[in-house]
Amino acid sequence: MDKENLSFKLCQNCQQEILLSNRFCNHCGKSQLEIDKQVHENKWLSLQQVALFFTIEVLCCASSFLIEEHNLFTLYFLDAIMAISAIAFFGYSWIENKIILKWPNFSFLKLTGLIIATILTSVVVTFLVNHLNRDFLHKDLSYYSIFEFHKYGRYLMFASMALYPAIFEELAYRGYLMQKLLTVVDEKEAVYISSVLFFIIHFSFLSIFWLLPFALFLGYLRIKTKTIWYGVFVHFFFNLTACFLDLYPLEDLYKMIF
Amino acid sequence: MEIPTNSHCNACYKAYSPTDLFCNGCGYPLQGTPQEQDFFLSERNVKEIDLSSMNEAVRKAGNSLFWIAGLTAVSSLFILGTVAEEDRSSVLIANIFLFVAFLGLGFLSKSKPTAALISGLSLYLIIQILNAIDNPLTIFSGIIFKVIIIGYLIKGIKAVLDADKLKKELNID
Repeated sequence: MDKENLSFKLCQNCQQEILLSNRFCNHCGKSQLEIDKQVHENKWLSLQQVALFFTIEVLCCASSFLIEEHNLFTLYFLDAIMAISAIAFFGYSWIENKIILKWPNFSFLKLTGLIIATILTSVVVTFLVNHLNRDFLHKDLSYYSIFEFHKYGRYLMFASMALYPAIFEELAYRGYLMQKLLTVVDEKEAVYISSVLFFIIHFSFLSIFWLLPFALFLGYLRIKTKTIWYGVFVHFFFNLTACFLDLYPLEDLYKMIF
Repeated sequence: MEIPTNSHCNACYKAYSPTDLFCNGCGYPLQGTPQEQDFFLSERNVKEIDLSSMNEAVRKAGNSLFWIAGLTAVSSLFILGTVAEEDRSSVLIANIFLFVAFLGLGFLSKSKPTAALISGLSLYLIIQILNAIDNPLTIFSGIIFKVIIIGYLIKGIKAVLDADKLKKELNID
């Protein structure tokens, strides 16, 4: 017999000793799955909550398409709504969620290694993406244009393109969303679903080549390390490098050095 | 401790010991009267029918992903004729991407139904929203069909969860 089968629990109905693996009491026939039933009802509720959260995110992102003239105010207004909803949903299940805000087994070496790998990957990805956009879609994508006119444009760009997504997207997708999904499905499926949702919210089909693998990696990191902080740092440095290369393109840097 | 087993449960075929009054896998009244046993078995039959209809709902939801893939392919042929020359390549790439994505999710729904159905549903809804932003009238084109597909997908997601629970209750894995 299996080892686990030999441990005992008390029947929820008649309080007699029964095997831990029993689904029904062998003395009174009462189901031992009552707790499961509760869990099952919570599963559907969790999915509905996830759907509500994702709808808010989608509406925020989609409404940016409806705005004819983008300026800093519209950008920060939508960002603020998304940040507030992320914090609200995360805080709503604070007891289950607070555990991933801890940083167990902090390793400086691991963090440095991850950051270096992230920066190198980001350089390669940004280079490829710029070429892809120029050669296939015939358009130059620049994040900076919207910040150009502001006195502190550069710092604002770093804040809203690197710092903001690193904290709030991680809190929303690897934090709240994944934690909720883990109560419904297993770890693998939770990583898949949260990654696909993360990819979809960016509204760019072309980005499947880097966003989906990036999201899968962040999800894997979150499951493996049981904290969102590695993801926050990886996300921050990935976006920071992309922003930096937007301001100082590789070609210019190359010319400056040689 | 070794539990001597002499026979297997009539309902779920799990081994039981002669001292058991009820099967510990499914709750079958092993020492009950024939009447009680018949009643239990007929209740179990009803649940098994429920389970098979849930599995059917999951299968249908998976198939609707294939339907979306097929419709994407067909509609892209019409759209390609109407768009301007310079947009043609990007529209074609987007449509091929969607076709492959839904086809892939359709196949994934056989092994990982929850992930495939949730991903498929959100992708489908996003496409509708993006189309609606581009041209609000697209919401109404084929609206009956869209509602049916979305209905099947949502039903499928719920059925996966319900089926998991029922399988545990019936001691079927």
